Amino acid sequence: MLEGNIEVLKGAIALVGYGLAAIGPGIGIGIVVGNAISAMVRQPEMQGVARTNMFLGIAFTEALALIGFVLFFIA
Amino acid sequence: MDGLILASECDVANEVICAPANVNELFFNSHAWFTVGGLAFTRTSFLIFLAAALSVGFLFFSLRKGSLVPGRLQTMGEGVVGFVRDDLGRSIIGPEGDRYLPYLLSLFIFILIGNLFEVTPLVNFPITSRMAIPLFLSLVTYVIFVVVGFKKNGFRYVFDIAWPKSVPVALRPLVGLIELVSTFALRPITLAVRLFANLVAGHLMLTLLLGSGVIFVAAIGDIGAKAGLGVIWFAVGMGIFVFEIVVAILQAYIFVLLSAVYIQSSVHPEH
Repeated sequence: MLEGNIEVLKGAIALVGYGLAAIGPGIGIGIVVGNAISAMVRQPEMQGVARTNMFLGIAFTEALALIGFVLFFIA
Repeated sequence: MDGLILASECDVANEVICAPANVNELFFNSHAWFTVGGLAFTRTSFLIFLAAALSVGFLFFSLRKGSLVPGRLQTMGEGVVGFVRDDLGRSIIGPEGDRYLPYLLSLFIFILIGNLFEVTPLVNFPITSRMAIPLFLSLVTYVIFVVVGFKKNGFRYVFDIAWPKSVPVALRPLVGLIELVSTFALRPITLAVRLFANLVAGHLMLTLLLGSGVIFVAAIGDIGAKAGLGVIWFAVGMGIFVFEIVVAILQAYIFVLLSAVYIQSSVHPEH
C-alpha cells in the first residue's frame, strides 16, 4: 500500500507534527489557567486583573498550537 | 476502522466531500455573483459588507436616541460600549484609552459579527476564516501601534526595544534581538493567525460533524443500520456548535485585548 508513495505518508506526518505541536501549549494553558484560578480564589478583589491576564497568557500560549495547525494545511 | 470503511463507501455514493484538484481553483471566480472590473463579488464579499453594515447599524440605532430610560437595544449598545471602554480601553491602556476607543469598539463589533456568522443558521460561514480579513485588521493594529510608538517616543522607541534596560548587560543583545523580531515581525502574524486558525478549526469541525451526520442519515437505504452513526456525529456536532458560540465571542475579545495591549506597549514603553 505504501510502496514508494510518499504522498500517502505526507498527511500522516503532518498530523503527527500537529499532535506534537499541541502538547506544549496544552500543558502551558493548563498551568496558566490553574494559577489564574488559584490567584482568583486567594484574592477575589483582584479577579478582574487575574482574568484579563489569564486570557492574555492563554492567547500567547495558544499561538504555538495554532501555528502548528496552520502548518498542517500548508505542508 | 469500521468508520473509515463506512466513510469511503459514503464518499463514493454521494461525492459530497471533494477536494479541489488544485489550490488555484479556490482563487478563480467560479463562485462569483458578478465581477466588477476583474474583481469578483462573492458570497464572502457580500458577508463582509453585511457585517460592516450590521456594525454601523447596531451602533447607530442603539445609541441614536440616548433616552434616560434605555430600551432593550440601547441597553445592549451601552453595554458593549461600556465593556470595551472600561475593560479594554481604560483598564489596559490607561486614561489615554479613550483616544483609541473608536478603533477598538468598531474592531470588536465587526469581528464579533464576523465570527458569529459561523453559528448563524443559513449563513454558517465566518468571514474571519478568510485570511485576508484577520490579516488586514491586524495590519491596521500594527500600523497604529508602530506610529503611536514613534510619535510618543521618537527613535527611542526602537532603541528601548533593541536594548532593554531591565536585563543584565551581557544578555541585552540577545533579548533585544528576540524582542525586535517578536515586536515588529511576529506580532501582526500571530494576531492574524490566532483569529484565522480558531475560526477555520471551528468551521471545519462543524462542517465535518454535521455534514457527515446528515450524509450518513440520508444514506440509510444503502448502508442500513450503520446510519445510526450519523445521529451520534450530529449530536457531537451540536455540542461543538454551542462551544463555537463561546469561541466566537472569546476570540473577538482576545483580538481586541491584544490590540489594546500592543497599543499600550507603545504608549508606555517602560512597562
